Amino acid sequence: MSSPTRPLNPRRITVLAVNTFTQLMRMKVVYFLGIFVVIAIAANFLDLPTHAAPESAGVGVLYAIKNTCIGLMSMFSLVLAVVATGLLLPKDAEDRTLYTILAKPVPRLDYLLGKLFGISALIFLSLVVMDLLMTGILTYRTNQVVETQQQMAAALGYSPEMTARLEMETRALGPTWNLQGAVLVVFMRAVVMASVALLLSTFSTSTLFTAIVGFLVLFVGFFQADAREYYFSGTGLLGRLGSAGMSIVLPDLQLYNVIDAVIEGKLLTAASLLKVAAVTLFYFVLYTFASWLIFARKEF
Amino acid sequence: MDPAVAIEDLVKVFRPQLGGRPLRAVDKVSITIEPGEVYGLIGPNGSGKSTTMKALLGLVAPTSGTCRIFGADSMAVDSREQVGFLPENPYFYKHLSGAETLRFYGKLCGLRGSQLESRVDELLDLVDLQGARDRRLGGYSKGMLQRIGLAQALVQEPRLVILDEPTAGVDPIGSRQIRDLILALRERGITVFLCSHLLEQVQEVCDRVGIIFRGRMIREGQLDDLLAIEDQTELILKDASPELMEKITQLVAESGAGELVRSGRPRTTLERLFLRETTDRKD
Repeated sequence: MSSPTRPLNPRRITVLAVNTFTQLMRMKVVYFLGIFVVIAIAANFLDLPTHAAPESAGVGVLYAIKNTCIGLMSMFSLVLAVVATGLLLPKDAEDRTLYTILAKPVPRLDYLLGKLFGISALIFLSLVVMDLLMTGILTYRTNQVVETQQQMAAALGYSPEMTARLEMETRALGPTWNLQGAVLVVFMRAVVMASVALLLSTFSTSTLFTAIVGFLVLFVGFFQADAREYYFSGTGLLGRLGSAGMSIVLPDLQLYNVIDAVIEGKLLTAASLLKVAAVTLFYFVLYTFASWLIFARKEF
Repeated sequence: MDPAVAIEDLVKVFRPQLGGRPLRAVDKVSITIEPGEVYGLIGPNGSGKSTTMKALLGLVAPTSGTCRIFGADSMAVDSREQVGFLPENPYFYKHLSGAETLRFYGKLCGLRGSQLESRVDELLDLVDLQGARDRRLGGYSKGMLQRIGLAQALVQEPRLVILDEPTAGVDPIGSRQIRDLILALRERGITVFLCSHLLEQVQEVCDRVGIIFRGRMIREGQLDDLLAIEDQTELILKDASPELMEKITQLVAESGAGELVRSGRPRTTLERLFLRETTDRKD
């Protein structure tokens, strides 16, 4: 009996990914979805002060729902990416499950990719569930707001054209494809952080170390573009090299701030989305490759 | 034909990351195991048994020397197609049931479909866990974990099985079941490389034994040769009458070239040999 032992075997990676996904599901790490449900529904009942003008009636609640839900999605996906990924490798080594897997014809790169794809699938599924709930609440509340605005517009004698434009503007603040794009960006940012956590766990001695350093990288990632601007602007070639080096070693997460713009109702262009996807792919490949370089030489 | 295992002058030195004295865990160990043999590696804790096994599985890289499995370098992933491994005190994924565990390892080895399902059934029968196939491993006893571990080691029908303390922490009944499984493997021509502290068990199942102490192989050979007392000769007679025994005794006395010490089985035990070679050793 022989099995293919070349690296990057999709079937083997899928087996490992499905196992990782099942492991995390049965560890009940998605219990946080319950917290999300409670907070998202609570956000729907926020009764923010509104002005008499139909243009602003109830609009604040739509912002609040989006802010709350996307914020929670970001937080949960990032925590899951850092903590759950950081937990997987040390746990397998401690339980010696890793020995039995690597004693089979499993290239170490496939093992790492299996873990990463498994956690990514879990994050994706969690985001889909949260997104569905957010979209549902937002659709319901947008319809309510539009109805209120139309009643106010009619009372104030707005023309049908003005009322139609008002409805269009309000619906742009509701569930849109733009918002789905923002959720996709949330997912991509979590994937980058999961690959960072995987890299850290290949050489760290504990899950706690991986989690702490992972969150530090996350924190620095949010501000590193500003830091690069401050330290390296106008410093010539050396400065540019330093700036590029910094953005490679640590992920530049400011690129993912398009999420905030979408919440404000701004358009997420296909070009922006593609740029974020390309940057995500770059960081994913870079950190996974670095993880493999370390893990391939690791002794157990 | 290539030997099942060929370890030549294996040296493994662990160097502490923050300086300190390097530890020479394995020191020029050579082991050759022919296909179909059951080889036992015995030694006290920290003598280098597990490191030798890990080097053979590519889990640690040799500092010098080579490890080969059926001719393939053990650092190459291909070499593991022919190997099944049961580590000491294995804790598999607790979230999986017995059958799911075997399916997982089977899929990693390229099995699928009806071939995989029939293999899972066959192995669950072999290790007598058919009744617990759908129970999660979190609810398995120590002996059951060892048996499911042995089953996963056999999932791709390997030609070599490496067992690290296969009966550690298992009760006598479970221990006997595992011993019987090892004997069944030998019957099927599968090479077994095991290390164990249970010397009686090693004596029962192994064809050849190596004693490793402080990283060095200090004795190795056929079990019968190792256990024989060198200056004595054993004559085994079947249905010998007292008259015949009397004649033999008389013949020995008359020859003056030898002395009849006693009748019976002039052998030491593996345990005594082990203790003499390790605990009582002067150097």
